[in-house]
Amino acid sequence: MKRRQFFKTAGGTTLLASTGMMNRTSSFPALLMDFYALGGEANLSKVEARYYKKHPDREIECTLCPRLCKLGDKERGYCGVRENIGGKYYTLVYGKACSIAADPIEKKPLFHYLPKSSALSIATAGCNVNCKFCQNWEISQVRPEQVQNYDLPPRAVVETAQKYRCPVIAYTYTEPVIFFEYMYDTSVEARKKGVRNVVITGGHISPEPMEDLTKVVDAIKVDLKAFSQDFYTKYVRGELQPVLEAIKIVHKSSVWLEIVYLVIPTLNDSADEIRKMCQWIMKEIGPDVPLHFSRFVPMYLVKNLPPTPVSTLEKVHKIALDEGIHHVYIGNVPGHSAESTYCPNCKNNVIERKGYSIGKIALKGGRCKYCNNPIPGIWI
Amino acid sequence: MMASKVVLIRGKGVLKEGGDIDQKKLLHMYNRGIQILMDKQNPKDCLRLIFQSSDKVGIKINTIGGRKLSSRPEVSFSLAGLLQESGIQQKNIIIWDRTNRELREAGYGLNLNRSGIKVYGTDTKGVGYDSQLTSHLNIGSLFSSIQSSKITASISLAILKDHGMAGVTAGMKNYFGAIHNPNKYHDFNCNPFVAELFETKLIKRKHKLTILDSLIVQYHRGPSYHARWAEKYEALIFSLDPVAVDHVGWQVIEKLRAKKGLASLKEEKRAPVYLKTAEKMGLGKANPEEIQIIEEEA
Repeated sequence: MKRRQFFKTAGGTTLLASTGMMNRTSSFPALLMDFYALGGEANLSKVEARYYKKHPDREIECTLCPRLCKLGDKERGYCGVRENIGGKYYTLVYGKACSIAADPIEKKPLFHYLPKSSALSIATAGCNVNCKFCQNWEISQVRPEQVQNYDLPPRAVVETAQKYRCPVIAYTYTEPVIFFEYMYDTSVEARKKGVRNVVITGGHISPEPMEDLTKVVDAIKVDLKAFSQDFYTKYVRGELQPVLEAIKIVHKSSVWLEIVYLVIPTLNDSADEIRKMCQWIMKEIGPDVPLHFSRFVPMYLVKNLPPTPVSTLEKVHKIALDEGIHHVYIGNVPGHSAESTYCPNCKNNVIERKGYSIGKIALKGGRCKYCNNPIPGIWI
Repeated sequence: MMASKVVLIRGKGVLKEGGDIDQKKLLHMYNRGIQILMDKQNPKDCLRLIFQSSDKVGIKINTIGGRKLSSRPEVSFSLAGLLQESGIQQKNIIIWDRTNRELREAGYGLNLNRSGIKVYGTDTKGVGYDSQLTSHLNIGSLFSSIQSSKITASISLAILKDHGMAGVTAGMKNYFGAIHNPNKYHDFNCNPFVAELFETKLIKRKHKLTILDSLIVQYHRGPSYHARWAEKYEALIFSLDPVAVDHVGWQVIEKLRAKKGLASLKEEKRAPVYLKTAEKMGLGKANPEEIQIIEEEA
């Protein structure tokens, strides 16, 4: 059934449009725009997917992500949004956003990329992993026909960003890799209009599409979910090595890179694991890539653990600094001093943050105002 | 230890020229299958041993394969008729699958009326999936509200097929169609997911009977239909043991594959290892020595 929804803005952050068909209720704080939303199979796209091989007997092999799903006719990939129909592979979510919001870029989090800017954030249903601690499982771990989708083709995304003065479009919330074609085409369209593109991803993607993506987007934040394959096997249902390769590809490109590590008590918070990860970062991508340690809160299928103690976050924060990483942050602990950016040379606070609010910015031409040390990032 | 009984009824000619079903023959196959399975002469009495008259019975069919490789309406409604004769009220029988589109494509007319045998998919407005996750071992899923709250007893009326990832899809895997995220459970030949899903309360406590619709068996390149590898097998396979019946189904597929000169599923590294897992979990028998197969030509 067609439904018109209106969203209002409040206080500069927001418009949220994430609706499921699973008896969930969402509140929409403010009017920003109206879209037509439709649930069920009727509102799926049928756009040929990129990155797949055709095999005999109407079988295909998806090469978009490391899973390399081999699918017979009428079967869907692990992501739930790409389907083999008669031996041709289709994305069912092209132009079909299930969530739309205007977020502060700090929420992504991207701390060294256009601070204070607003990012029009979109997602479609689906994900190519199944993290047991997913915070958005109601849209990421479902099929697109199980949520309400908004008809929002690439051009409409860009127009919406412009209309609401968002200089950035963020592909986020679920896993943008699974709506690759939609993200890619929107990014191309956005660049023509001077709107920038950022990607919030788990990095579980094959090298070729990742390289292609780096040609059309401006910043990528990778969620490195642990530094052990065992964790990836048990809690992510994915592979660690391809994520590390993806990080290296982004680093080699001109795209701005930040890394987030969600610290989950007892599962991925050992000093040894954190130290190994930091050493890998230092060796492969250097000290200037910002590293965020985020606080876990019980969610989805991991509800038996407490939120990460702040002391644990502080411990891993110290390990990263000791290993030589310049910009290390603590996330999901509003008001913590490690939310701010400090000059690695003079140690002065150069960007003050409290939650998503930005205080003073003591940068001049991308350099510390106090000692003139360059602070890596994209500042204008 | 008592063996699990699996009854395989062949019905030569049940599929007529052109693909229509010989209804009389089909009914005879059903009656014989249930009689032998329950060791009673009167089929009505047999089903009374399995279901309470107050039960709301769900017949979970599989319609993903389109008209050529789905649980046919004649097969589903014949079973529903037998349930009625045994005392289950017509209004308490639901023939269902995940989507109305697939049901229609398989030849079903939808029926949501209060009276009459109901036929509808989980995606029917007002039906949908539960809002609360069911979490069990490696399973974290939302169940179709049909399975969770509209039925008290369940029959898996599944199509016997080869499956590229699972090896075999039959009675147990049919319940992948009862959850919102089956795509998340196809790794590692669907092991241990098929067994663990079956072990959830919402399935294990409600499941009463498996019938494998093996009128046409897709023994290679499944689960979609490929005429070249689809055998007119003309059988129904019955069991109260959900693991044993799938094991027998697997052997049927292996025999057909061998007959056609194809490698075994084991050789292709896609044997349905979830059956052994299910056996270890105590869900049924996957050891041929503990399965009593009774085969009869109807």
